[in-house]
Amino acid sequence: MTAYLQVTGLNKRFGGLQALRDCSFTVGQGRITCLVGPNGAGKTTIFNAITGFLVPDTGHVEFQGRSLDGQSPQQIVHHGIARTFQNLRLFADLTARDNVLAGMQDHVGEGPLGAIFRPFHTARALAAKQDAAMAVLAHVGLQDRASALVRNLSYGEQKLLCIARILATGAELLLLDEPTSGLSGAALTEVMALLRRLQAEGKTLLVVEHNTRVVQQIADDVLFLHHGHLLAHGSPAEIIADPKLAEIYFGGTL
Amino acid sequence: MDFLTTYIVLAEIYVLLGLSTNLLVGIVGIFSVSQAAVFGVGAYLTAFLLMHTALPFPVAVLLAAAFCVGLNILVTLPSLRVSGDYFVVTSFGIQLLATAVFTNWTGGTGGANGLPGVPAPLILGHEFTEPTEFIALTTIGMALGCLCFWLMMRAPFGALLRAIREDELAVAALGKSVLGAKVSAAALAGAFAGSAGGLYATFLSFVDPSSFDLDASIFLLTMVVVGGARTLAGSVLGPFVLLALPQILALIDIPTSIAAAARQLIYGLLLIVFMLFRPQGLLGEKL
Repeated sequence: MTAYLQVTGLNKRFGGLQALRDCSFTVGQGRITCLVGPNGAGKTTIFNAITGFLVPDTGHVEFQGRSLDGQSPQQIVHHGIARTFQNLRLFADLTARDNVLAGMQDHVGEGPLGAIFRPFHTARALAAKQDAAMAVLAHVGLQDRASALVRNLSYGEQKLLCIARILATGAELLLLDEPTSGLSGAALTEVMALLRRLQAEGKTLLVVEHNTRVVQQIADDVLFLHHGHLLAHGSPAEIIADPKLAEIYFGGTL
Repeated sequence: MDFLTTYIVLAEIYVLLGLSTNLLVGIVGIFSVSQAAVFGVGAYLTAFLLMHTALPFPVAVLLAAAFCVGLNILVTLPSLRVSGDYFVVTSFGIQLLATAVFTNWTGGTGGANGLPGVPAPLILGHEFTEPTEFIALTTIGMALGCLCFWLMMRAPFGALLRAIREDELAVAALGKSVLGAKVSAAALAGAFAGSAGGLYATFLSFVDPSSFDLDASIFLLTMVVVGGARTLAGSVLGPFVLLALPQILALIDIPTSIAAAARQLIYGLLLIVFMLFRPQGLLGEKL
Protein backbone atom coordinates (compact mmCIF):
# COMPACT_ATOMS: atom_id res chain seq x y z
CA MET A 1 0.00 0.00 0.00
CA THR A 2 1.42 3.39 -0.90
CA ALA A 3 1.07 6.01 1.78
CA TYR A 4 -1.05 9.09 1.16
CA LEU A 5 1.85 11.37 2.01
CA GLN A 6 5.30 9.83 2.21
CA VAL A 7 8.26 11.80 3.49
CA THR A 8 11.58 10.02 3.05
CA GLY A 9 15.01 10.88 4.41
CA LEU A 10 14.72 14.66 4.50
CA ASN A 11 17.88 16.51 5.46
CA LYS A 12 18.27 20.24 5.70
CA ARG A 13 21.16 22.19 7.14
CA PHE A 14 21.07 25.93 7.86
CA GLY A 15 24.71 26.84 8.41
CA GLY A 16 25.71 25.03 11.60
CA LEU A 17 22.17 23.92 12.41
CA GLN A 18 20.88 20.56 11.20
CA ALA A 19 17.20 21.49 11.00
CA LEU A 20 16.12 18.16 9.53
CA ARG A 21 18.09 14.96 10.02
CA ASP A 22 17.07 11.90 8.00
CA CYS A 23 13.44 12.66 8.68
CA SER A 24 10.94 10.10 7.40
CA PHE A 25 7.28 9.49 8.10
CA THR A 26 3.95 8.81 6.47
CA VAL A 27 0.52 10.34 6.80
CA GLY A 28 -2.55 8.18 6.29
CA GLN A 29 -5.45 9.35 4.16
CA GLY A 30 -8.44 10.67 6.04
CA ARG A 31 -6.60 10.80 9.35
CA ILE A 32 -5.63 13.60 11.68
CA THR A 33 -1.92 13.35 12.28
CA CYS A 34 -0.36 15.59 14.89
CA LEU A 35 3.22 16.67 14.60
CA VAL A 36 4.63 17.31 18.06
CA GLY A 37 8.01 18.05 19.55
CA PRO A 38 9.83 20.71 21.53
CA ASN A 39 10.51 24.16 20.08
CA GLY A 40 13.06 24.02 17.30
CA ALA A 41 12.36 20.36 16.56
CA GLY A 42 11.84 21.19 12.88
CA LYS A 43 8.05 21.04 12.65
CA THR A 44 7.63 24.19 10.59
CA THR A 45 10.70 23.26 8.52
CA ILE A 46 8.93 20.01 7.61
CA PHE A 47 5.90 22.04 6.50
CA ASN A 48 8.11 24.27 4.40
CA ALA A 49 9.77 21.27 2.79
CA ILE A 50 6.47 19.58 1.94
CA THR A 51 4.90 22.75 0.50
CA GLY A 52 7.86 23.78 -1.65
CA PHE A 53 8.92 26.83 0.35
CA LEU A 54 12.18 25.12 1.18
CA VAL A 55 14.29 22.78 -0.91
CA PRO A 56 15.73 20.02 1.29
CA ASP A 57 19.39 19.10 0.86
CA THR A 58 18.38 15.47 0.34
CA GLY A 59 15.21 13.43 0.60
CA HIS A 60 11.88 13.02 -1.12
CA VAL A 61 8.24 13.89 -0.64
CA GLU A 62 5.56 11.84 -2.38
CA PHE A 63 1.85 12.62 -2.43
CA GLN A 64 -0.58 9.94 -3.64
CA GLY A 65 2.34 8.18 -5.28
CA ARG A 66 3.52 11.28 -7.16
CA SER A 67 6.81 12.95 -6.41
CA LEU A 68 6.69 16.57 -5.24
CA ASP A 69 10.45 17.07 -5.42
CA GLY A 70 11.47 20.38 -6.94
CA GLN A 71 7.93 21.69 -7.28
CA SER A 72 7.02 25.30 -6.50
CA PRO A 73 4.55 26.21 -3.73
CA GLN A 74 2.12 27.11 -6.48
CA GLN A 75 2.33 23.68 -8.16
CA ILE A 76 1.98 21.92 -4.83
CA VAL A 77 -1.33 23.67 -4.15
CA HIS A 78 -2.50 22.38 -7.53
CA HIS A 79 -1.63 18.85 -6.39
CA GLY A 80 -4.08 19.33 -3.52
CA ILE A 81 -1.89 20.29 -0.56
CA ALA A 82 -2.37 23.63 1.21
CA ARG A 83 -0.92 25.01 4.40
CA THR A 84 -1.54 27.66 7.02
CA PHE A 85 1.14 29.67 8.76
CA GLN A 86 1.99 29.88 12.43
CA ASN A 87 1.94 33.68 12.17
CA LEU A 88 -1.30 33.56 10.13
CA ARG A 89 -0.15 35.73 7.18
CA LEU A 90 -3.70 36.85 6.43
CA PHE A 91 -4.26 39.86 4.17
CA ALA A 92 -4.99 42.31 6.98
CA ASP A 93 -6.43 45.14 4.87
CA LEU A 94 -8.74 42.89 2.89
CA THR A 95 -12.15 41.66 4.02
CA ALA A 96 -12.63 38.14 5.31
CA ARG A 97 -14.46 37.30 2.09
CA ASP A 98 -11.65 38.62 -0.14
CA ASN A 99 -9.14 36.57 1.86
CA VAL A 100 -11.13 33.45 1.07
CA LEU A 101 -11.57 34.59 -2.53
CA ALA A 102 -7.81 34.78 -2.91
CA GLY A 103 -7.63 31.07 -2.17
CA MET A 104 -10.03 29.99 -4.91
CA GLN A 105 -8.39 28.10 -7.74
CA ASP A 106 -10.78 29.26 -10.47
CA HIS A 107 -8.53 31.78 -12.20
CA VAL A 108 -11.17 33.59 -14.27
CA GLY A 109 -10.66 37.36 -14.06
CA GLU A 110 -7.27 37.10 -12.40
CA GLY A 111 -5.49 38.47 -15.45
CA PRO A 112 -5.82 42.06 -16.65
CA LEU A 113 -6.89 41.18 -20.20
CA GLY A 114 -9.84 39.07 -19.12
CA ALA A 115 -10.84 41.75 -16.64
CA ILE A 116 -10.75 44.50 -19.28
CA PHE A 117 -11.98 42.77 -22.42
CA ARG A 118 -14.48 40.34 -20.93
CA PRO A 119 -16.04 42.51 -18.21
CA PHE A 120 -19.40 40.75 -18.09
CA HIS A 121 -17.90 37.29 -18.07
CA THR A 122 -15.56 38.45 -15.28
CA ALA A 123 -18.42 39.98 -13.29
CA ARG A 124 -20.40 36.74 -13.49
CA ALA A 125 -17.36 34.69 -12.48
CA LEU A 126 -16.72 37.08 -9.60
CA ALA A 127 -20.30 36.80 -8.37
CA ALA A 128 -20.06 33.00 -8.47
CA LYS A 129 -16.76 33.10 -6.61
CA GLN A 130 -18.19 35.42 -3.98
CA ASP A 131 -21.04 33.00 -3.38
CA ALA A 132 -18.58 30.15 -3.09
CA ALA A 133 -16.48 32.22 -0.68
CA MET A 134 -19.54 32.89 1.44
CA ALA A 135 -20.24 29.17 1.57
CA VAL A 136 -16.69 28.50 2.77
CA LEU A 137 -17.02 31.22 5.41
CA ALA A 138 -20.32 29.73 6.57
CA HIS A 139 -18.58 26.37 6.82
CA VAL A 140 -16.17 27.69 9.44
CA GLY A 141 -18.83 29.84 11.12
CA LEU A 142 -17.67 33.25 9.87
CA GLN A 143 -20.56 34.10 7.54
CA ASP A 144 -21.52 37.11 9.68
CA ARG A 145 -18.01 38.55 9.43
CA ALA A 146 -17.65 38.32 5.64
CA SER A 147 -17.32 42.04 4.99
CA ALA A 148 -15.21 42.80 8.06
CA LEU A 149 -11.58 43.70 7.50
CA VAL A 150 -9.24 41.06 8.85
CA ARG A 151 -7.60 43.46 11.29
CA ASN A 152 -11.01 43.97 12.93
CA LEU A 153 -11.50 40.25 13.50
CA SER A 154 -10.75 38.64 16.86
CA TYR A 155 -7.74 36.35 17.06
CA GLY A 156 -10.00 33.31 17.18
CA GLU A 157 -11.85 34.47 14.07
CA GLN A 158 -8.53 35.05 12.30
CA LYS A 159 -7.46 31.50 13.11
CA LEU A 160 -10.70 30.19 11.60
CA LEU A 161 -10.23 32.39 8.54
CA CYS A 162 -6.78 30.87 7.95
CA ILE A 163 -8.45 27.49 7.66
CA ALA A 164 -11.24 28.90 5.47
CA ARG A 165 -8.69 30.39 3.11
CA ILE A 166 -6.97 27.08 2.45
CA LEU A 167 -10.30 25.25 2.24
CA ALA A 168 -11.07 27.58 -0.66
CA THR A 169 -8.15 26.09 -2.59
CA GLY A 170 -10.00 22.78 -2.60
CA ALA A 171 -6.96 20.99 -1.17
CA GLU A 172 -7.42 17.47 0.17
CA LEU A 173 -4.41 17.48 2.47
CA LEU A 174 -4.37 20.41 4.91
CA LEU A 175 -1.20 21.31 6.76
CA LEU A 176 -2.13 23.39 9.79
CA ASP A 177 0.64 25.14 11.70
CA GLU A 178 -0.57 25.53 15.29
CA PRO A 179 -4.25 26.17 14.55
CA THR A 180 -5.13 26.31 18.25
CA SER A 181 -2.19 28.26 19.70
CA GLY A 182 -3.29 31.29 21.68
CA LEU A 183 -6.87 30.09 21.85
CA SER A 184 -8.82 29.03 24.90
CA GLY A 185 -12.36 28.29 25.96
CA ALA A 186 -15.02 28.51 23.31
CA ALA A 187 -12.64 29.49 20.50
CA LEU A 188 -10.47 26.43 21.17
CA THR A 189 -13.48 24.13 21.25
CA GLU A 190 -14.71 25.64 18.00
CA VAL A 191 -11.45 25.03 16.13
CA MET A 192 -11.24 21.46 17.43
CA ALA A 193 -14.80 20.79 16.32
CA LEU A 194 -13.99 22.24 12.90
CA LEU A 195 -10.96 19.96 12.50
CA ARG A 196 -13.07 16.91 13.30
CA ARG A 197 -15.75 18.07 10.90
CA LEU A 198 -13.18 18.47 8.12
CA GLN A 199 -11.96 14.96 8.79
CA ALA A 200 -15.51 13.64 8.59
CA GLU A 201 -15.81 15.34 5.18
CA GLY A 202 -12.85 13.39 3.91
CA LYS A 203 -9.96 15.81 4.39
CA THR A 204 -6.61 14.65 5.65
CA LEU A 205 -4.98 16.83 8.29
CA LEU A 206 -1.38 17.19 9.36
CA VAL A 207 -1.35 19.46 12.38
CA VAL A 208 1.48 21.02 14.36
CA GLU A 209 0.16 21.09 17.88
CA HIS A 210 1.66 21.96 21.25
CA ASN A 211 -1.29 21.40 23.53
CA THR A 212 -1.19 17.76 24.69
CA ARG A 213 -4.85 17.87 25.64
CA VAL A 214 -5.77 18.90 22.11
CA VAL A 215 -3.52 16.18 20.69
CA GLN A 216 -5.24 13.57 22.84
CA GLN A 217 -8.63 14.70 21.69
CA ILE A 218 -8.15 15.08 17.95
CA ALA A 219 -5.17 12.99 16.83
CA ASP A 220 -5.41 9.58 15.22
CA ASP A 221 -1.64 9.40 14.89
CA VAL A 222 1.15 11.33 16.54
CA LEU A 223 4.58 11.99 15.09
CA PHE A 224 7.19 13.01 17.64
CA LEU A 225 9.98 15.11 16.20
CA HIS A 226 13.23 15.91 17.98
CA HIS A 227 16.27 17.68 16.53
CA GLY A 228 14.78 17.33 13.06
CA HIS A 229 14.43 13.58 13.35
CA LEU A 230 11.34 11.41 13.83
CA LEU A 231 11.90 9.97 17.28
CA ALA A 232 8.63 8.11 17.70
CA HIS A 233 5.22 7.61 16.19
CA GLY A 234 2.06 6.01 17.46
CA SER A 235 -1.33 6.69 18.95
CA PRO A 236 -1.66 9.72 21.24
CA ALA A 237 -1.92 7.41 24.27
CA GLU A 238 1.31 5.60 23.37
CA ILE A 239 3.26 8.80 22.82
CA ILE A 240 2.02 10.48 25.98
CA ALA A 241 2.65 7.38 28.08
CA ASP A 242 6.33 7.28 27.07
CA PRO A 243 8.29 8.85 29.96
CA LYS A 244 11.36 9.41 27.76
CA LEU A 245 9.39 11.54 25.28
CA ALA A 246 7.68 13.46 28.08
CA GLU A 247 11.09 14.33 29.47
CA ILE A 248 12.24 15.71 26.11
CA TYR A 249 9.02 17.53 25.58
CA PHE A 250 8.89 19.16 28.97
CA GLY A 251 12.51 20.19 29.15
CA GLY A 252 14.69 17.11 29.37
CA THR A 253 18.30 17.07 28.22
CA LEU A 254 18.28 14.01 25.95
CA MET B 1 -10.13 80.22 -22.09
CA ASP B 2 -6.98 78.64 -23.49
CA PHE B 3 -5.45 78.89 -20.07
CA LEU B 4 -8.11 76.67 -18.50
CA THR B 5 -8.20 74.24 -21.44
CA THR B 6 -4.43 73.77 -21.34
CA TYR B 7 -4.67 73.06 -17.65
CA ILE B 8 -7.36 70.42 -18.21
CA VAL B 9 -5.47 68.77 -21.08
CA LEU B 10 -2.30 68.49 -19.01
CA ALA B 11 -4.21 67.29 -15.95
CA GLU B 12 -5.90 64.59 -18.03
CA ILE B 13 -2.53 63.41 -19.32
CA TYR B 14 -1.24 63.32 -15.76
CA VAL B 15 -4.28 61.27 -14.70
CA LEU B 16 -2.91 58.48 -16.91
CA LEU B 17 0.41 58.85 -15.10
CA GLY B 18 -1.42 58.87 -11.78
CA LEU B 19 -3.10 55.57 -12.71
CA SER B 20 0.26 54.14 -13.71
CA THR B 21 1.93 55.18 -10.47
CA ASN B 22 -1.03 54.25 -8.28
CA LEU B 23 -1.24 50.80 -9.82
CA LEU B 24 2.41 50.02 -9.07
CA VAL B 25 2.97 51.92 -5.83
CA GLY B 26 -0.50 52.08 -4.28
CA ILE B 27 -2.08 48.79 -5.29
CA VAL B 28 0.78 46.32 -5.73
CA GLY B 29 3.24 48.07 -3.41
CA ILE B 30 6.14 48.20 -5.87
CA PHE B 31 7.67 51.51 -4.82
CA SER B 32 8.84 52.82 -8.16
CA VAL B 33 10.49 56.22 -8.42
CA SER B 34 11.14 55.85 -12.13
CA GLN B 35 7.67 56.24 -13.66
CA ALA B 36 8.67 59.57 -15.21
CA ALA B 37 11.43 57.77 -17.10
CA VAL B 38 8.88 55.44 -18.73
CA PHE B 39 6.68 58.47 -19.43
CA GLY B 40 9.70 60.08 -21.11
CA VAL B 41 10.46 57.08 -23.28
CA GLY B 42 6.84 57.11 -24.46
CA ALA B 43 7.10 60.81 -25.29
CA TYR B 44 10.45 60.60 -27.11
CA LEU B 45 9.48 57.49 -29.01
CA THR B 46 6.19 58.99 -30.20
CA ALA B 47 8.00 62.19 -31.21
CA PHE B 48 10.63 60.21 -33.09
CA LEU B 49 8.08 58.07 -34.93
CA LEU B 50 6.00 61.06 -35.98
CA MET B 51 9.01 63.09 -37.08
CA HIS B 52 10.90 60.37 -38.95
CA THR B 53 8.28 57.96 -40.23
CA ALA B 54 4.96 58.28 -41.99
CA LEU B 55 3.11 56.35 -39.28
CA PRO B 56 -0.24 57.84 -38.33
CA PHE B 57 -0.62 59.25 -34.81
CA PRO B 58 -2.68 56.40 -33.27
CA VAL B 59 -0.19 53.80 -34.51
CA ALA B 60 2.78 55.81 -33.22
CA VAL B 61 1.23 56.14 -29.77
CA LEU B 62 0.29 52.46 -29.69
CA LEU B 63 3.83 51.47 -30.67
CA ALA B 64 5.29 53.76 -28.01
CA ALA B 65 2.88 52.36 -25.43
CA ALA B 66 3.75 48.79 -26.43
CA PHE B 67 7.45 49.57 -26.10
CA CYS B 68 6.82 51.03 -22.64
CA VAL B 69 4.98 47.86 -21.65
CA GLY B 70 8.14 45.88 -22.29
CA LEU B 71 10.35 48.53 -20.75
CA ASN B 72 8.30 48.80 -17.57
CA ILE B 73 8.28 45.02 -17.13
CA LEU B 74 12.05 45.10 -17.46
CA VAL B 75 12.61 47.92 -14.94
CA THR B 76 10.09 46.40 -12.51
CA LEU B 77 11.60 42.91 -12.63
CA PRO B 78 14.20 43.68 -9.95
CA SER B 79 11.27 44.07 -7.53
CA LEU B 80 10.82 40.32 -7.75
CA ARG B 81 14.21 39.79 -6.18
CA VAL B 82 14.77 42.88 -4.06
CA SER B 83 11.77 43.91 -2.08
CA GLY B 84 10.50 47.04 -0.38
CA ASP B 85 13.03 49.71 0.45
CA TYR B 86 15.79 48.09 -1.59
CA PHE B 87 13.79 48.36 -4.77
CA VAL B 88 13.55 52.15 -4.28
CA VAL B 89 17.33 52.30 -4.66
CA THR B 90 17.24 50.21 -7.84
CA SER B 91 14.40 52.29 -9.22
CA PHE B 92 16.25 55.49 -8.32
CA GLY B 93 19.21 54.26 -10.34
CA ILE B 94 17.00 53.48 -13.33
CA GLN B 95 15.58 57.01 -13.21
CA LEU B 96 19.05 58.59 -13.11
CA LEU B 97 20.17 56.38 -15.97
CA ALA B 98 17.16 57.45 -18.05
CA THR B 99 17.80 61.13 -17.35
CA ALA B 100 21.42 60.68 -18.40
CA VAL B 101 20.32 59.10 -21.69
CA PHE B 102 17.68 61.79 -22.35
CA THR B 103 20.21 64.55 -21.68
CA ASN B 104 23.25 63.14 -23.44
CA TRP B 105 22.03 61.18 -26.42
CA THR B 106 21.90 64.26 -28.61
CA GLY B 107 21.46 62.22 -31.80
CA GLY B 108 18.21 60.62 -30.60
CA THR B 109 16.71 62.96 -28.05
CA GLY B 110 18.19 66.32 -28.95
CA GLY B 111 19.99 66.34 -25.59
CA ALA B 112 19.28 69.14 -23.17
CA ASN B 113 17.80 71.23 -25.97
CA GLY B 114 15.09 68.71 -26.52
CA LEU B 115 13.17 67.83 -29.66
CA PRO B 116 11.16 70.72 -31.10
CA GLY B 117 8.59 70.46 -33.85
CA VAL B 118 6.72 67.29 -32.93
CA PRO B 119 3.82 67.21 -35.41
CA ALA B 120 0.30 67.60 -34.06
CA PRO B 121 -1.90 64.48 -34.15
CA LEU B 122 -3.55 63.90 -37.49
CA ILE B 123 -6.59 61.64 -37.32
CA LEU B 124 -8.88 61.06 -40.32
CA GLY B 125 -7.52 64.16 -42.00
CA HIS B 126 -8.17 66.35 -38.98
CA GLU B 127 -5.26 68.02 -37.25
CA PHE B 128 -5.52 68.51 -33.48
CA THR B 129 -3.50 71.69 -32.99
CA GLU B 130 -5.50 73.82 -30.57
CA PRO B 131 -5.94 72.85 -26.90
CA THR B 132 -9.70 73.10 -27.44
CA GLU B 133 -9.39 70.30 -30.03
CA PHE B 134 -6.72 68.32 -28.27
CA ILE B 135 -8.90 68.05 -25.18
CA ALA B 136 -11.03 65.49 -27.06
CA LEU B 137 -8.01 63.18 -27.35
CA THR B 138 -6.90 63.50 -23.75
CA THR B 139 -10.43 63.10 -22.46
CA ILE B 140 -10.85 59.88 -24.44
CA GLY B 141 -7.43 58.70 -23.28
CA MET B 142 -8.21 59.46 -19.66
CA ALA B 143 -11.66 57.85 -19.86
CA LEU B 144 -10.21 54.68 -21.38
CA GLY B 145 -7.50 54.56 -18.73
CA CYS B 146 -10.00 55.04 -15.92
CA LEU B 147 -12.31 52.40 -17.38
CA CYS B 148 -9.48 49.85 -17.58
CA PHE B 149 -8.39 50.67 -14.05
CA TRP B 150 -11.93 50.35 -12.71
CA LEU B 151 -12.57 47.06 -14.52
CA MET B 152 -9.33 45.59 -13.21
CA MET B 153 -9.81 46.71 -9.64
CA ARG B 154 -13.26 45.23 -9.30
CA ALA B 155 -12.18 41.95 -10.92
CA PRO B 156 -10.42 39.16 -9.01
CA PHE B 157 -7.22 40.58 -10.54
CA GLY B 158 -7.53 43.64 -8.30
CA ALA B 159 -7.96 41.52 -5.20
CA LEU B 160 -4.96 39.44 -6.21
CA LEU B 161 -2.76 42.53 -6.60
CA ARG B 162 -3.85 43.85 -3.20
CA ALA B 163 -3.14 40.47 -1.64
CA ILE B 164 0.35 40.55 -3.15
CA ARG B 165 0.98 43.93 -1.56
CA GLU B 166 0.08 42.52 1.83
CA ASP B 167 1.87 39.17 1.70
CA GLU B 168 3.53 37.66 -1.35
CA LEU B 169 4.41 34.46 0.41
CA ALA B 170 0.81 33.84 1.45
CA VAL B 171 -0.31 34.42 -2.14
CA ALA B 172 2.17 31.81 -3.36
CA ALA B 173 0.91 29.45 -0.65
CA LEU B 174 -2.57 29.78 -2.15
CA GLY B 175 -1.36 28.51 -5.50
CA LYS B 176 -1.25 31.87 -7.26
CA SER B 177 1.49 33.20 -9.51
CA VAL B 178 3.01 36.28 -7.88
CA LEU B 179 5.34 36.71 -10.84
CA GLY B 180 2.51 36.65 -13.38
CA ALA B 181 0.42 39.20 -11.51
CA LYS B 182 3.36 41.57 -10.96
CA VAL B 183 4.37 41.38 -14.61
CA SER B 184 0.77 42.12 -15.66
CA ALA B 185 0.59 45.13 -13.35
CA ALA B 186 3.92 46.44 -14.61
CA ALA B 187 2.78 45.97 -18.21
CA LEU B 188 -0.36 48.00 -17.63
CA ALA B 189 1.47 50.71 -15.74
CA GLY B 190 3.86 50.87 -18.71
CA ALA B 191 0.97 51.16 -21.17
CA PHE B 192 -0.57 54.01 -19.17
CA ALA B 193 2.73 55.91 -18.85
CA GLY B 194 3.69 55.30 -22.50
CA SER B 195 0.43 56.58 -23.94
CA ALA B 196 0.56 59.56 -21.57
CA GLY B 197 4.00 60.27 -23.06
CA GLY B 198 2.62 60.13 -26.58
CA LEU B 199 -0.14 62.60 -25.78
CA TYR B 200 2.26 64.87 -23.92
CA ALA B 201 4.79 65.07 -26.74
CA THR B 202 2.20 65.84 -29.39
CA PHE B 203 0.31 68.32 -27.24
CA LEU B 204 3.37 70.42 -26.41
CA SER B 205 4.98 69.66 -29.80
CA PHE B 206 8.22 69.70 -27.85
CA VAL B 207 9.97 67.26 -25.52
CA ASP B 208 12.96 67.88 -23.28
CA PRO B 209 14.55 65.97 -20.40
CA SER B 210 13.27 68.27 -17.64
CA SER B 211 9.76 66.81 -17.86
CA PHE B 212 11.02 63.30 -17.19
CA ASP B 213 13.62 63.65 -14.46
CA LEU B 214 13.67 62.54 -10.84
CA ASP B 215 11.69 65.61 -9.79
CA ALA B 216 8.99 64.55 -12.22
CA SER B 217 8.91 61.04 -10.75
CA ILE B 218 8.58 62.47 -7.26
CA PHE B 219 5.87 64.79 -8.54
CA LEU B 220 3.96 61.71 -9.72
CA LEU B 221 4.30 60.16 -6.28
CA THR B 222 3.12 63.41 -4.67
CA MET B 223 0.09 63.34 -6.94
CA VAL B 224 -0.81 59.86 -5.73
CA VAL B 225 -0.18 60.73 -2.08
CA VAL B 226 -2.24 63.92 -2.20
CA GLY B 227 -5.02 62.53 -4.41
CA GLY B 228 -5.21 59.29 -2.53
CA ALA B 229 -3.40 56.00 -2.86
CA ARG B 230 -5.07 52.82 -4.09
CA THR B 231 -8.23 54.38 -5.52
CA LEU B 232 -9.40 55.49 -8.94
CA ALA B 233 -10.84 58.72 -7.53
CA GLY B 234 -7.50 59.54 -5.89
CA SER B 235 -5.60 59.01 -9.14
CA VAL B 236 -7.92 61.44 -10.91
CA LEU B 237 -8.12 64.10 -8.23
CA GLY B 238 -4.38 64.27 -7.48
CA PRO B 239 -3.25 65.59 -10.89
CA PHE B 240 -6.05 68.15 -11.04
CA VAL B 241 -5.15 69.50 -7.59
CA LEU B 242 -1.39 69.57 -8.07
CA LEU B 243 -1.44 71.03 -11.56
CA ALA B 244 -3.79 73.78 -10.37
CA LEU B 245 -1.08 74.94 -8.01
CA PRO B 246 1.21 76.63 -10.57
CA GLN B 247 -1.84 78.28 -12.12
CA ILE B 248 -2.82 79.70 -8.74
CA LEU B 249 0.75 80.84 -8.13
CA ALA B 250 0.66 82.55 -11.51
CA LEU B 251 -2.33 84.59 -10.38
CA ILE B 252 -0.39 85.84 -7.38
CA ASP B 253 2.03 88.43 -8.61
CA ILE B 254 5.46 86.97 -7.80
CA PRO B 255 8.58 86.98 -9.97
CA THR B 256 8.94 83.88 -12.17
CA SER B 257 12.40 83.19 -10.75
CA ILE B 258 10.88 82.69 -7.32
CA ALA B 259 7.73 80.97 -8.59
CA ALA B 260 9.55 77.86 -9.80
CA ALA B 261 11.34 77.42 -6.50
CA ALA B 262 8.16 78.20 -4.57
CA ARG B 263 6.37 75.44 -6.49
CA GLN B 264 8.96 72.82 -5.53
CA LEU B 265 8.77 74.04 -1.95
CA ILE B 266 5.00 73.73 -1.87
CA TYR B 267 5.06 70.25 -3.45
CA GLY B 268 7.55 69.15 -0.82
CA LEU B 269 5.50 70.65 2.00
CA LEU B 270 2.33 69.04 0.67
CA LEU B 271 4.02 65.65 0.63
CA ILE B 272 5.16 66.01 4.24
CA VAL B 273 1.89 67.44 5.52
CA PHE B 274 -0.18 64.72 3.88
CA MET B 275 2.14 61.96 5.09
CA LEU B 276 1.82 63.28 8.62
CA PHE B 277 -1.84 64.23 8.86
CA ARG B 278 -3.70 62.42 6.10
CA PRO B 279 -1.63 59.53 4.76
CA GLN B 280 -4.59 58.18 2.78
CA GLY B 281 -4.75 61.40 0.73
CA LEU B 282 -7.90 63.27 -0.19
CA LEU B 283 -9.82 60.36 -1.68
CA GLY B 284 -7.67 57.37 -0.86
CA GLU B 285 -8.31 54.14 0.93
CA LYS B 286 -7.88 54.47 4.68
CA LEU B 287 -4.40 53.25 5.55
